[in-house]
Amino acid sequence: MQKDQRLLDLAALLLKAAEPVSWREIQEQFAGDYAGKGEAAIRKFERDKADLLELGIPVRWIAGDEDLPAGYLIDKDEFYLPDLKLPPEDLALLYLAGSAALANGTFPYARDLAHALNKLSFAARAPGASEAAALAARRLSSEDEGHGAGAVHIEELSRAVAHKKRVHLVYLGAERRDRTERDVDPYGLFQQGGAWYVVGWCHSRSAIRTFHVARIESLEVNASAPRTRDFEPRADFSVAAHATRETWEYAHHAPVRCRVRLDPPLSAEVLASFGPRARVKEEGGGATVEVDATNSEGLLRHVLGLADRAEVLAPKELRDRARGMLAALARGLA
Amino acid sequence: MSPAQRRKAPSKRQAGGSKGRASPRSNARKPKATVPASKKSDPRDRLRRILFLVPYAVRHPGIPVRDLARRCGCTEKELLEDLDFLLGVGSPPFAPDDFLDLYVEGDRVFVALHQSFSRPPRFTESEAAALAAAARALGGEGRERAVKALRDSVPRDRRASFDELVERIYAGAPPARDSVLGRLQRAIAERRAVRIAHHSASRDAESERVVHPWTLAQRFGHWYLYGLDLGREKPLAFRLDRVRECTITDERFEPPGEADLARARLFSDPQGEPIRIRVGATAAGWALSRPGLRLVKRLEKGGAIVEVPGASAEWTTRLALSLGGDAEVVAPPAARRHFAEAVRRTLARYA
Repeated sequence: MQKDQRLLDLAALLLKAAEPVSWREIQEQFAGDYAGKGEAAIRKFERDKADLLELGIPVRWIAGDEDLPAGYLIDKDEFYLPDLKLPPEDLALLYLAGSAALANGTFPYARDLAHALNKLSFAARAPGASEAAALAARRLSSEDEGHGAGAVHIEELSRAVAHKKRVHLVYLGAERRDRTERDVDPYGLFQQGGAWYVVGWCHSRSAIRTFHVARIESLEVNASAPRTRDFEPRADFSVAAHATRETWEYAHHAPVRCRVRLDPPLSAEVLASFGPRARVKEEGGGATVEVDATNSEGLLRHVLGLADRAEVLAPKELRDRARGMLAALARGLA
Repeated sequence: MSPAQRRKAPSKRQAGGSKGRASPRSNARKPKATVPASKKSDPRDRLRRILFLVPYAVRHPGIPVRDLARRCGCTEKELLEDLDFLLGVGSPPFAPDDFLDLYVEGDRVFVALHQSFSRPPRFTESEAAALAAAARALGGEGRERAVKALRDSVPRDRRASFDELVERIYAGAPPARDSVLGRLQRAIAERRAVRIAHHSASRDAESERVVHPWTLAQRFGHWYLYGLDLGREKPLAFRLDRVRECTITDERFEPPGEADLARARLFSDPQGEPIRIRVGATAAGWALSRPGLRLVKRLEKGGAIVEVPGASAEWTTRLALSLGGDAEVVAPPAARRHFAEAVRRTLARYA
């Protein structure tokens, strides 16, 4: 029997059953599929069970007692998508977040996200539902919308992250402009400034490394033993912590206390751009921001990016460097 | 007549006189529908679609084939093939009433027997984790509540996987509460009009607009607000980094129709003359992989000229300055003057 059909038949049987269905009965009903006494039939059934679970359908083994026979069951409460019981504004947020991510074109698990938005329309009605569902449907139908290699790589990396499979990358380095090949254990994906990065254990460097997904030229996920994990991420590693490091927090030198002056009017965006660990003292409409930098060059660039609305106050070396850079630019422009 | 229509009426119900009798599967089962190998890469997609389409059709009796196909993200042909396939799905003892029965009558889909597929299954861990990651990046006060509700909607056996996976995707820091993005997000959720001060790149002028914010979209590395501009009486996209101010008003609006939103991801951004930056070798690699920047030509010694479509002179100046002396705005002349002026003023602060 076709696998799709077998899975649905199995789900229908177990959903309908009033009490657990024994293995023997399942074998009888699916004689063409799980025939035989051997391990092979059981293993095939176990694979089907795993596939159902991956679709969100949990098949449970019930040990049985004097009242119930032993066997398999799908608990209806565990099967149906429950009502999310969220206030309308939270639902609106989910719809908005999901559809904005889909509109982006590149997002991990984009197809899963589209399915999720579709399902969400059952679990809850809220402002935003119809537009989100419309976007989701389009996402599902537009297989090759020309999002380019980036979207394909993100999708493959998503799977590799979820299943903990090693990937082989051909990667174009940023500043050295050289092409390298390496094996990476992908720990996670993060977005920064509209671009996606994969972070993981790089076997060539024996260290945690970050790769810009757009600079991955080609990518191969280890195809052997798809259900077996190739690695365990280091327990002390956090994708969010890694992703939220500011550029001046990269470990390049010992910590240096730096101070920056911001002119009024202060915008929420500019204040937030110094990150959650910055110490801000507001004064006279403007502010002084203090950070501990382990890569002061990163801070310098950030401050220069705010143009004449900001200036490095301390340390003196960094201030001198800012002056030097700007003076060189000014000479070139003259 | 489509295959599904042909199949509809006669076979099952009438042949079903022998209700309750355990008929051997091979007899009861209808001829297997011939389904072309799916062109989709993920084989689970078809099953996922089916697990959505059956309950959706249950909830919307008589939904036109076209609408159901659109909602499922497939073609009408694929949908009819799915319906055909479903006629063969059922459970032992495979009596006539043990099969799923969805049929098409006058181009509308009806469900006679849904075999308990009346609601979609729970979220898979990757569905819930993707949505949770998106929600966390967008922020909002309810986001952790929403993430918890998503977790509770994953089968119990998979919650540990959800917990793990949700830690492996970080889609960005949520916007500050009073930032433009933070406010817009609230306005969209509450369906309230906003007043924005927006700088138009094509006209190089700032104007105040009142907009019904419909949705947000992130494209080419920039956030956009998409909504109805009340002054111009048409839907427009506004790039958020060109929105200087945003105030939420008390005016409420009705949600837009689906057709209006269909354009939300197709909008084109009205653009002025693209601004060009010359970058040196060290900044080039970085600049070229940044979304929204386009290579114009490579220069000797690894440098490059890149173009920033639709950016203001202000934005481009700041981008070039943030490259730490390794970049300068070169064209058009007005943008170069803006850059030179900014360098001069900034340098003066360090005098």
